[in-house]
Amino acid sequence: MSRVVVIGAGLAGLVAANRLADTGCDVVLLHQGLGGLQSGQGTIDIFGYNPGRVTNPIKAVAAETRRRVPAGSLSHPYKALGVKAVRVGVEYLKQVLPELLVGSVESNYQLPTAVGAIRPTCLAQPSMVAGDVAADLELAIVGFEQLKDFNPELVAQNLNRTELAGGGRVNARHLLLEFRARQGPLGSPREGELDSSALSYARAFDDRRYRVLFAKTLAPKLAQGETVGLPAVLGLQDPNAWADLAELLGHAVFEIPLPPPSVPGIRLNQALTARALSLGVRTVPGVRVLGFAVEAGRVVSVRTQPGVATRDYRGAAFVLATGGFEAGGLAMDSYGSITETLFELPLVGLQNQSLQADYWGDQPLFNCGLQVDAQLRPIGASGEPVYANLHAVGGILAGSSGWRDKSGDGVAVASAVAAADAIAKELA
Amino acid sequence: MSTDQQRESGLIITPEGLAFAGHQLSRASLDACIKCTICETQCPVAAVTPLFSGPKFVGPQAERFRNGESVDHSLDYCSSCGTCTLVCPEGVQIAELNSQARAVMKAKKMPLRDRLIGQTTLMGKVMTPVAPIAQAALNNKPIRVAMEAMLGVHRDAPMPPPQSQSFEAWFRKRPRPTEPAPRGAVVFFHGCAGGYFEVETSKQSVEVLEHLGFEVLVPKQGCCGLAQQSNGLFGGATKSVLKLCDDLRSAGTDLTIISASGSCTGMLKHEAHEIMGVDDERLRDVGTRIRDIMEFLLDLHEAGELPTDFAQTELTVPYHAPCQLKSQGMGKPALEVLKLIPGLTVIDSNQACCGIAGTYGLKKEKYEVAQAVGQPLFDMVKATNSELALCDTETCRWQIEKSSGVRTEHPIWMIHHAYGLS
Amino acid sequence: MRRLTVDVVVIGGGSTGAGVIRDVAMRGYRAVLVERADLGQGTTGRFHGLLHSGGRYVVSDPESARECAAENAILTRIQAGAIESTGGYFVTCPGDDPGFAEQFLAGAKASGVQAREVGVAEALRNEPRLNPGILRAIEVADGAVDGWQLVWGAANSAREYGAEILTYHQVTKIETANGQVRAVHCRDLKGDQDVQINCDFVLNCAGAWAGQIATMAGAHPVEVVAGRGIMIAMNHRLTNRVLNRLVYPTDGDILVPAHTVSIIGTTDVLAHDPDDLEIPSAEVQQLLDAGEVLIPGFRDTRALHAWAGVRPLIKDDRVGAADTRHMSRGMAVIDHTLRDDLEGMLTIGGGKLTTYRLMAEHIVDKMCRKRGETRPCRTAEEEVPKAGAGHSHRVTDRLAAREADRADDQLVCECELVSRKMFVDALVAQPQASFDDLRRQLRLGMGPCQGGFCTLRATGIAVSEGNLDAERATELLRLFLANRWIGLWPILHGQQVRQAALDSWIFQGTLDVEHLPNPEVAVTR
Repeated sequence: MSRVVVIGAGLAGLVAANRLADTGCDVVLLHQGLGGLQSGQGTIDIFGYNPGRVTNPIKAVAAETRRRVPAGSLSHPYKALGVKAVRVGVEYLKQVLPELLVGSVESNYQLPTAVGAIRPTCLAQPSMVAGDVAADLELAIVGFEQLKDFNPELVAQNLNRTELAGGGRVNARHLLLEFRARQGPLGSPREGELDSSALSYARAFDDRRYRVLFAKTLAPKLAQGETVGLPAVLGLQDPNAWADLAELLGHAVFEIPLPPPSVPGIRLNQALTARALSLGVRTVPGVRVLGFAVEAGRVVSVRTQPGVATRDYRGAAFVLATGGFEAGGLAMDSYGSITETLFELPLVGLQNQSLQADYWGDQPLFNCGLQVDAQLRPIGASGEPVYANLHAVGGILAGSSGWRDKSGDGVAVASAVAAADAIAKELA
Repeated sequence: MSTDQQRESGLIITPEGLAFAGHQLSRASLDACIKCTICETQCPVAAVTPLFSGPKFVGPQAERFRNGESVDHSLDYCSSCGTCTLVCPEGVQIAELNSQARAVMKAKKMPLRDRLIGQTTLMGKVMTPVAPIAQAALNNKPIRVAMEAMLGVHRDAPMPPPQSQSFEAWFRKRPRPTEPAPRGAVVFFHGCAGGYFEVETSKQSVEVLEHLGFEVLVPKQGCCGLAQQSNGLFGGATKSVLKLCDDLRSAGTDLTIISASGSCTGMLKHEAHEIMGVDDERLRDVGTRIRDIMEFLLDLHEAGELPTDFAQTELTVPYHAPCQLKSQGMGKPALEVLKLIPGLTVIDSNQACCGIAGTYGLKKEKYEVAQAVGQPLFDMVKATNSELALCDTETCRWQIEKSSGVRTEHPIWMIHHAYGLS
Repeated sequence: MRRLTVDVVVIGGGSTGAGVIRDVAMRGYRAVLVERADLGQGTTGRFHGLLHSGGRYVVSDPESARECAAENAILTRIQAGAIESTGGYFVTCPGDDPGFAEQFLAGAKASGVQAREVGVAEALRNEPRLNPGILRAIEVADGAVDGWQLVWGAANSAREYGAEILTYHQVTKIETANGQVRAVHCRDLKGDQDVQINCDFVLNCAGAWAGQIATMAGAHPVEVVAGRGIMIAMNHRLTNRVLNRLVYPTDGDILVPAHTVSIIGTTDVLAHDPDDLEIPSAEVQQLLDAGEVLIPGFRDTRALHAWAGVRPLIKDDRVGAADTRHMSRGMAVIDHTLRDDLEGMLTIGGGKLTTYRLMAEHIVDKMCRKRGETRPCRTAEEEVPKAGAGHSHRVTDRLAAREADRADDQLVCECELVSRKMFVDALVAQPQASFDDLRRQLRLGMGPCQGGFCTLRATGIAVSEGNLDAERATELLRLFLANRWIGLWPILHGQQVRQAALDSWIFQGTLDVEHLPNPEVAVTR
């Protein structure tokens, strides 16, 4: 059994680790802290804007792969990955997380956000899809006074003033409830905590008694036929908490993702991590990979230094899933010098003026990254892989800002599966 | 703060601020915080009580306002379990910042209890020769009630089981192995608990190592100072840890040092350096050579040097990796080694913390919080096997055993059995 | 059209204008202050936060030094809540002339500025990050001052004396008749109406914009030389005290621990338009290098935000026009009677934040003389309202406040510890305020995440508690993000890049704010 070392535990790293373990590899997953999944919205974006609103993401991917890119410009990672890799990746993810993700690569959901925008996404959690907007949908957006990251009035008003892509509008109203997640400090005169996190609510909603109590409070305030939009806090461990609540209420219910901490993101992270562990993946959290050793053009080991001593991990292949700038896979120093922080791999997309004054415009900095070959190996100017057994996946790839075109998850999943399959084939 | 208090705390507090090397390092790390909230979601204390504002708040956020002063005493609800630092994707030393802020706070007002429970060796030495009496006292309700009132140690908190014979006494008096040791010598570091309370674990570790062909050296050794450190007494803790380094180095300067005390190993590997800023060649030397015993066995296995002639063991056991072991950046080596025992199914608790966090769960005002933190673990343990659980550090074993009623052993116990040594 | 009649109109809501309105109101005049934006939005809010001890000028400008020393003591007494008495060091860095210290000490003695040489070892013990290669250190009474709190304190004091403060009122015309000022016409930018303020005296305190105002009254051009400087805020307090280089005043020689951050300043380049201030990367590099000299490793610490401000210096024949640093920092009052045959207007320029009260005293004294009245100045004796209950601000204050109310309130801005109550109170008091206006008073969004986590919360509260409709609230959110970016992108590097990327994932990724419907008319304030 060959040892593969995966570095990074965001969506790309976790998917790669799972896929490699499925193919029988002995996987070690090294990561500094938890990955970015729980900072995201907890759905799987493939393509949301291109630059107009996308309704069929796989079609948009196909169009992107055919787009002619002027010389010297970056192409979207999808161009190198191809339509098939996206399909295979997304199908794989649906297959490993059947309880958590629904949807099809052929169509985007259009889901309300916590500011009341309508956001396209490809795979969503079952708890979210009742929010897929349609003209004349009657919505009751419900929030909690103790949960500061979700204001139902703002969401409802913004939804109401939005002309839907297909014409028409939803009809939303809001309810702000005084309904506490948990008790206040012991001995305090308070009835409960005033400043609760999404996590506190999610843990509370795991408890059926809490759901019953909540349904009793909310149900009388709802009008017939209303679909209920709630912040995404409907259970952390219990995947059916939302469905149970819907049944208790007698109304369709949907979750709206919040800024971090994202409960839907935590669900995805937990599920992918648990699956990897159950397949025997050895995880080593809390370590940053600081160095590596090369023999004959191959990476043979990477080095961590958890305390005063160092520890090396040898492997037959390595997967670099350290992410983009937000995760530290890429960095820019005070002189403006941009680097891949671990292997010092060659980057593409570097420009003299990497940032510009218009906040809403494209920032070239966030499009730079690695260029890879068909096996997802970073390549240099010659087009040859830098190391024969080093593969890169996810946000570290050049060519897109995932938050703008809503393609980050699709790139992560497609590249992770493609890299894992290339490694498995190579090591077989 | 008086000079005496400064000496005790090991801090220099200038009129304006806090100055010591460890603090400068951790404070610099707060620059890496991007507020992503991942630490808050994983904090086992914040999950069970609103009394604690959470690691992001008391760590990188509050630190920007502290200026070396202590104004936010609620930070003491932090149990120092280190989960926040472990899960931080940006490398912020959150737990370390909190420990340092606590040290500043304690430097001004140190409860007698925190001094006493920080002195583990002293406690063990006092208790060993009179074990039956000590045990009786610790099981005696009125005495515990009095301890709670006077010292602030909760009456129901788990207490170490005193033994009639210390590990050192056993090691000295036992018959020497007659077989030669083909693999050379290693140094065994038993730690205070392994010396006085968890004597069986130490014995089994030595026997496993000897079974594998190592000569085991046990130099005379003192306390690593961890309990003092976690109670904010950096001065005493620094002295202890450096003295211990001298002790361990006395057995040889190039031998691997092995310990079955996960938390004390963590102190030597990184906490003394990262939290207290101890920058000393002796600590670097020992910190580089020391291995947790399960880590050592896994290294042997990876090198193809671990015999796997383990007895078939049809058993399902819960395993809990303690916080201080997880903080060592080596994953969970026990899980990997135990996988080698045929028939054995080990279920990882996947819980952040048992609640005790060294001495946190002993304290009167923290006891309820600590029990709530550990509850999911206790439930999991009971549901998995009502007779046996595995866990690498002493205080966590006492906590799990006391609160779940399930006998809890070090993973080496399992290896010892599976090698047919017991 | 709204009509008002007062004695005096003060034009400009920076520190000078605020000091002047307080002074005229305390002397019993009916007065109005008009400001085209928010209080302290110009130069006052765009400096390094240094409350001068006077040390900086003991060699180059002894008169300024003397004034600074005296005013420092007064402000620390009357506006304690806006000031943190950190103390300061002047240090001789490697390569700097150690002999300058003698000149400095002599100058300090001559101008009455407290200064005491301390041993290098003591300085390094008190400031562990300070360059260990320093050769000499002199301790002075520098402090940090929050310009916005200073200005609001003075404005609130003026209000208690009956003055009216009109922010977002842009002067459109200054009406004169027979060589006498009669009225000031303004446009109320938020209320969308014209305002006519009848008066017989105008005090032009428009700083870098004073020339434009004087021209409106038909005066000959007043030449204001705008010296642009940039400042960078670093994520946390790198030092306990203000650090100055012990050299003749130059670029990048001051590091101020202000609130939770450390501010390095400043550069000095002639600006042609005070409304168009850039933050050139060459100057950013220059400041980072300068920081490295004071604090080794400075470049690796986290830069949060940068801004540019202009020094409004009245042209002075003694130095060349291009050399703005060494122009008189002393204040200059222009009497338009002699100069332009115009009665009822005085223009003030120069000076510095530390001497804002004294500047006001000078111009109002002059006005009284011209009016033939004797009304003594009392601003040095009386504390401004809510000055901080007699104790100087400390960086620990907010942490202590949140420790006290943590179970009773929500935290809106986590970085700068702004509670919901603080935000709601400010919003209710100023229902037309933008989030930037509130930021200047509360420090909302000024910490490491630069609004990443608080902006959505503020938007929600504005809808629920501030009676804003979602469209305006949403536009204020977008405006806030775009305005933060102005000070972010020029210095974006290191850890702050991670933050900017995470913030983009939140606002553009998760919330999709850029795809909310756009309003018919863009919201700009």
